[in-house]
Amino acid sequence: MSRKRTLPDVYRSRKRVCATPANHSSQEALNTNGVDWNDGESSNHIDNSIVPNDTSCALAYLKNLFPVEKFEGRLPPIILQHQLYAIVSNRTLVDQQLMELRNCGKIKLFKLGSEASEFCVLYADDYKSHVRKFIQNMSLNQAVIEKFLTSVVDQCQDISLSKHKLMTELKFKDEEVTQLVKACVLTVRDVGSWWMAFPGAGIFMKSFIRGRKAVLMMIRKCKYKEIIREELKSRKLPRIARLGMEYHIHDLIGADLVECVPTTSGMLLRLQE
Amino acid sequence: MLRFVTAREIGSILPSYLVKVETTRRIFSVELSTHFDVQKIHDAAINSLDIDLVEDRYLLSGAGNGTIVIHDLHNITGLPHCTYPEVCHVGRGNRNRHKYSVETVQWYPLDTGMFVSSGMDKLLKVWDTNTMRTADEFEFSAGIYTHHMSSTATQHCLVAVATGSSKVKLLDLKSGSATHTLRGHRQTVFSAMWSTRDEFILATGSRDSKVMLWDVRCAKGAMMVLDQHNGDTSAGSNSVNTAHSGHVNGVCFTPDGLHVVTFGTDHTLRIWSTATGQNTMVNFGRVTNESKRSVKMTISGGSKPQLVFVPSVSDILIYDLVSGTKVSTLRGHYNQVNCCTFHRAYHDLYSCGNDRNILIWKPLLDTTLAYDEFLHNGSKSKEDRTNSFVRRIGTADSWSSDED
Repeated sequence: MSRKRTLPDVYRSRKRVCATPANHSSQEALNTNGVDWNDGESSNHIDNSIVPNDTSCALAYLKNLFPVEKFEGRLPPIILQHQLYAIVSNRTLVDQQLMELRNCGKIKLFKLGSEASEFCVLYADDYKSHVRKFIQNMSLNQAVIEKFLTSVVDQCQDISLSKHKLMTELKFKDEEVTQLVKACVLTVRDVGSWWMAFPGAGIFMKSFIRGRKAVLMMIRKCKYKEIIREELKSRKLPRIARLGMEYHIHDLIGADLVECVPTTSGMLLRLQE
Repeated sequence: MLRFVTAREIGSILPSYLVKVETTRRIFSVELSTHFDVQKIHDAAINSLDIDLVEDRYLLSGAGNGTIVIHDLHNITGLPHCTYPEVCHVGRGNRNRHKYSVETVQWYPLDTGMFVSSGMDKLLKVWDTNTMRTADEFEFSAGIYTHHMSSTATQHCLVAVATGSSKVKLLDLKSGSATHTLRGHRQTVFSAMWSTRDEFILATGSRDSKVMLWDVRCAKGAMMVLDQHNGDTSAGSNSVNTAHSGHVNGVCFTPDGLHVVTFGTDHTLRIWSTATGQNTMVNFGRVTNESKRSVKMTISGGSKPQLVFVPSVSDILIYDLVSGTKVSTLRGHYNQVNCCTFHRAYHDLYSCGNDRNILIWKPLLDTTLAYDEFLHNGSKSKEDRTNSFVRRIGTADSWSSDED
């Protein structure tokens, strides 16, 4: 147990690199009964709309990793929330920025399956184009879906919808709701409530679970149940796992299924019991 | 720190700022104390601890075989090492003891003359400390996991009891009977805690993955059902909203009462705002929770940022409440840790577990380091010791090392 733990910078014993303006503000902060509030001030001057934040960059990178061509266009690029934790180290920051992006309407979050809390992130535009492509192939009432896309998807940022909201607030009828469930945009959660969903989730989950199992098996077979990241990347996945090794590595690290240990030969991934 | 003391003297900082800063430094440096110990009386797994709020002096502990022990935490000898003695205990011979395990013990908030214990024998007992006999007993329909009395209540004297049946009962100690039954949960209620800010707000966590906030003056039902996804809070969705994806083991209010921290078997810790019921989305990562009963966490109020001490398997994890980063892991127990409680004045952490130990975690002070060094030097030969002793008299400073 190390005796030195990172104390919050209460003693301000380290000299500030910035010039006098910061010093004046820190003196003021000393007089106000609290910790220095001006730490993050310089970053506010950056125009947030131009420079994408950490989470958006990570999302864009992961979107590129997703092999859309392997699924013959049946799936949009899907990113899992915990993959972002593997790239950006501060998890709370990732959560907060995801919240901001959701409120702007740029991305949508979906809850996958019944296991714990696996959320997947889809870009809003990808989601809408995917849904429209899906319903063209099936003989469904397109007007209902369009109404859903404009009223619910654009305005409502929740993961699940209740009967009260759908029927009374948004004026969807029972048959329309059935159509939506048939179109795989809604999944039954409980008696009067539904999860938001996207069509093709099953195909994705099958590939994903198989791939994850295969990668974990690979690590488990290693001596001491650990492997260097570069070596794992060079190994080939079986045909059923179509998502690619990089995608799965990010997933395993973010979900805390493997522990990252920095070594002199690179990053070591050790299986967590 | 001396710079701060001077600044306070000349008036450039407020005195409370110095207090806050020094408290934060002490709380952040908490580690297992090798010089302070608690007299070993328990011979069964210890389930619960409580320190009285009146003098911060007595430590009450309840064990798995129904025994309850009280230790005195005042170190009046002035020595840098001490074994806190036992004051009295409810042993195996006591006629009034619990037949099965004691799950929760709590001092009466206003007076150490009374304490309340509850356990798996479905009984809640009110004890008179001076005679160590029960003054009153209440029976329930199922084993009691937690009970809690509000420390800020002036208008009521209610004990909230979380039982194995899905009802939360409120007991009035003045009249001696159960006054309310709060219905809302569908399975065992594992934990309950009164708000530290409002004397009428109660938070309960249950096996059905729900955390409910109750206003006990209101007859209608739960005030809020916390939703982990922060979805819409219409009337219909209350029945499906879950706070965790597993059982909710521990519920704890922050000392200012503005937030409530919940711990679940889905290995997550969540912080909620008490006013709005929103999940603050602070991500603590995976906090392993293998407990099948209620887990008693504690939050240090004096430091900024506030720290939460969470018992996780056989360690105690310390997390920063604001950012969610792990400050440290306290390793010391051999088996599962059941409860940890914080001493407000000394900034010590007391923890107990299934390994029958009560461990004390104290802040790392200069006096501790100096005493360690003194003991280490004490192992040298006699002439060296007398030489160093003589030299020390000359310098008139008994804590400085003679080697540097």
